Amino acid sequence: MRLSFIRLVRTILLLTFPFLLTPNVLEAQEQPDASHAGQDDVVKLSPAELAAKIDLLFEKSWSDSEIIPADRATDAEYLRRIYLDLAGRIPAVSEARAFLSDSNPDKRVALVSQLLDSPSSVRNMTTVWRNSLIPQASSQPEFRGLIPGFEAWLWKHISENTPYDVIVREIITTPVGEANTTGGVLTAASSPEAFYVVRELKPENLATGTSRAFLGVRLDCAQCHDHPFDRWKQHQFWSMAAFYSGFAQPVEGSAPVMAMNVAEKKFAREIQIPSTGQIVPAIFLSGQTPAWSDQESTREVLARWVTSPDNPWFAKMAANRVWGQFMGQAMVQPMDDFSDANPPSHPEVLDLLAQQFVLHNFDLQYLVRAITATGVYQRSSLQTHDSQSDPSMFARATLRGLSPEQFFDSLAEAIGFYQPFRSGNPFVLDDDSPRSRFLELYRSEAESPLQRETTILQALAMMNGEFVASATSIENSQTLRAVVEFPLMSDEERLDTLFLATLTRHPTEAERTQFTSYIQEGGASGDRGAAFADIYWVLLNSSEFLLNH
Amino acid sequence: MTTKFCRRQFAKYSGLSLLGASMSGWFSQLAALADETGKRPKRSCILLWMSGGPSQMETVDPKEGQENGGPTKAIDTSVPGIRISENLPKVATVMGDLVPIRSMTTKEGDHTRATYYLRTGYLPVGPLQYPSMGSFLGKSLRKEECDLPSYVSINPFRAFSPGAFAPGFLGPAWSPLVVGAQTTNNEVSFEVRNLKVPEQLTETQVDARLRMLGSLEHSFLANRPGSPGASHLQSYEQAVRMMKSQAVGAFSLEEEDSMLRDAYGRNAFGQGCLLARRLVEEGVAFVEVSLNGLDAAGGAGWDTHADNFASVKSLCEILDPAWSTLITDLKQRGLLENTLVIWAGEFGRTPKINENSGRDHWPGSWSTVLGGGGIRGGQSLGKTSDDGMEILDSPVTVPNFMATICAALGLDHTSTNQSNIGRPIPLSDHGSAPLSAILS
Repeated sequence: MRLSFIRLVRTILLLTFPFLLTPNVLEAQEQPDASHAGQDDVVKLSPAELAAKIDLLFEKSWSDSEIIPADRATDAEYLRRIYLDLAGRIPAVSEARAFLSDSNPDKRVALVSQLLDSPSSVRNMTTVWRNSLIPQASSQPEFRGLIPGFEAWLWKHISENTPYDVIVREIITTPVGEANTTGGVLTAASSPEAFYVVRELKPENLATGTSRAFLGVRLDCAQCHDHPFDRWKQHQFWSMAAFYSGFAQPVEGSAPVMAMNVAEKKFAREIQIPSTGQIVPAIFLSGQTPAWSDQESTREVLARWVTSPDNPWFAKMAANRVWGQFMGQAMVQPMDDFSDANPPSHPEVLDLLAQQFVLHNFDLQYLVRAITATGVYQRSSLQTHDSQSDPSMFARATLRGLSPEQFFDSLAEAIGFYQPFRSGNPFVLDDDSPRSRFLELYRSEAESPLQRETTILQALAMMNGEFVASATSIENSQTLRAVVEFPLMSDEERLDTLFLATLTRHPTEAERTQFTSYIQEGGASGDRGAAFADIYWVLLNSSEFLLNH
Repeated sequence: MTTKFCRRQFAKYSGLSLLGASMSGWFSQLAALADETGKRPKRSCILLWMSGGPSQMETVDPKEGQENGGPTKAIDTSVPGIRISENLPKVATVMGDLVPIRSMTTKEGDHTRATYYLRTGYLPVGPLQYPSMGSFLGKSLRKEECDLPSYVSINPFRAFSPGAFAPGFLGPAWSPLVVGAQTTNNEVSFEVRNLKVPEQLTETQVDARLRMLGSLEHSFLANRPGSPGASHLQSYEQAVRMMKSQAVGAFSLEEEDSMLRDAYGRNAFGQGCLLARRLVEEGVAFVEVSLNGLDAAGGAGWDTHADNFASVKSLCEILDPAWSTLITDLKQRGLLENTLVIWAGEFGRTPKINENSGRDHWPGSWSTVLGGGGIRGGQSLGKTSDDGMEILDSPVTVPNFMATICAALGLDHTSTNQSNIGRPIPLSDHGSAPLSAILS
């Protein structure tokens, strides 16, 4: 918690005079293309047009189900949510003041454009996509070393907004084992190779990984036997695995597989089902037999089919995933389980999103702009009617647990904790840093942020742990001291600053009265500084701070 | 337990109405439970969980002299007629309190599904999130006066099936307190970190902080229903209760006699079993201790696809002293008659030995062991064929196994909890029945 003197001065200035930050948020707006309006469905829609169509579909769905939706979110509520969803952290006090005092009626859309280009957003999207593509890297310590190389590769694509189909093609066709022939440890070369390593280069793991991550199809159970209620049969599973049959299998019982010395048979097209001995050819999940040629390797053929605009699942799966990422709840939930038994909550909306995603050349930022522009995304989390309780109806913003990364980066923002990655190499792993320790403590196996729960150990760390204790102590926290001791602020302004730093809003009238009188009485210990520290601690421990809402 | 520390903590939080207890539905559940209790002593349950699926033939159903039996020898136990593997010589001496069930049978040979099945009593289907047995048994057996959570999980390896270690539709009040072992200078300890309030804070200050937090929570969560908010409130409530309680002294193993600690085994599992006894003494309803491998790390050590015989022998060197000492220690303290001890993994191993001297997944005919409270020990249940491939007598399904656990704990296995889809769900599945032959 050491701030340099210059940083301290800057903090004070920005806390006090937010206009010193000139937001250039008004330029990058995308205007609706009027020439397309009113035509049939296959026309390209601007994000605003698509958002409007989606809102119409939801209004109909709500009125059909006799649902009265929640109010529109306030600016403060929206601001906090969009920062957490896009930038992966809450806004700084200066950013909050700038937005809340901005009178531009289109400031919400403008903020999305501004954030999409920010390093925070690129970093956050990289983390989110990495967690969904190689989840094993954060849950299994032996794979943690793979994160830097994978993130370096992903970071570049996210920052350049590479079309999604190009990214996925690169994953499915990436050379494996060629860049690295040194034993033991993988180099941190920028590559999606980790996708293969965490699946131990096994054709069956790669088949389930590919179909889950990119098609939303869960084949896992069909590996061993046919399931009575599932459309996927065992031979279909192995036909998918056959696309990865080129990987030489390591000797049973040897050390964990590393992508080294792999001699891939790039044109292998069949595989043996271990339990039956039957040999099955590579066939697409759609049932079509691939058109083979000598020019295209087996994985290239698979990649072309997976990422094709005609693939029945590819675009829908991505649209569903991005929707779920911003809403907390996907239309097909769990988001990687498309099946007849698990239909989408709003099929028309999902179809429309997927269709426009394809028409916009798989532009992920387009999806983000459209989804965040909807009135659905911009609902308040405050329940005003019983009919809003079903999260799959999207009539109210849900309460969501923060991801470990969102949690720590927001805490760091709120207490002015300087995180070295901001200026230095973002790919350095430091397992002893406060960030690493908190990420470990906040790791959750919940399938959706709606199910993420606070544990007793997390509560204890926030209430009594050294990190937060130090951040809320007037002796150790320069941020708190800056707020409490800066001469030009009244106590009300100081309180306001603490609220903005933590909850991204001004205190209500009742809160202002309650907390100001607490401060003026010197709090519980007769000390004005300690009284501020108490309030800071309370704000940091509140569910309003620790949840996305 | 340092009583001094505890009293000081207590003083800091005395007179608090924690975090606005009346506002959450979870709390009224707790209150309602308190009313039902107090009639007779509630039993407790300790689950020894063998992650990965332990080999029945190298533990309690040896097949000496058979081709499938491998090199494993059988030994006599304190109960005439019951013979178990030579890997468990100390467990053999406490057989009078145990019942090996040698006829477990399911169709689930996948770690994820089998782990879920054994630990919840139900197969994963649709949107229903069944609670872990630690959660639903913890709920039914909770002692309101106990300041610790009703479900404590020691060293769990949850990767196979996180939901099998979670409260599911029962909600966050019944989540486990997860405790991991720390090893410093070969000394294993279990510390719940951050229980102590920072030195520089005064009692009145902490008091004021919690009161202000309570009012902030009330205004924010009152009209924002949802599990993340409820669990936040619930965890803070339980954390504060633990902070002010003397019960956390149960985690201080250094208070125990050094010889007894040696007897349990100076490793994560052995000391975990000792901790389980201390927690049960303190009133915790359900404690599980996982044996995941030879060191304290997570894993599936019992998943012995290769080198089965040496691996299981090494694991049993940890299991045997810990399990047997747990039984004798509970008995000496008069706790055994009210404490059910379960030994189980997600499935057994193939009777046929594979080419790597290993055994693969086998759900068809395998073993678990029940002992202590509610169980008439000193007998075995079920029988497998000489080659271990078939069950010759009394096949036991998972729902019947779960119904037996409920009955041994003094619970009605047909009593229900309300699920997330509005359907009442019985403790063990419809149609299940306890194995009355082994109940006391």
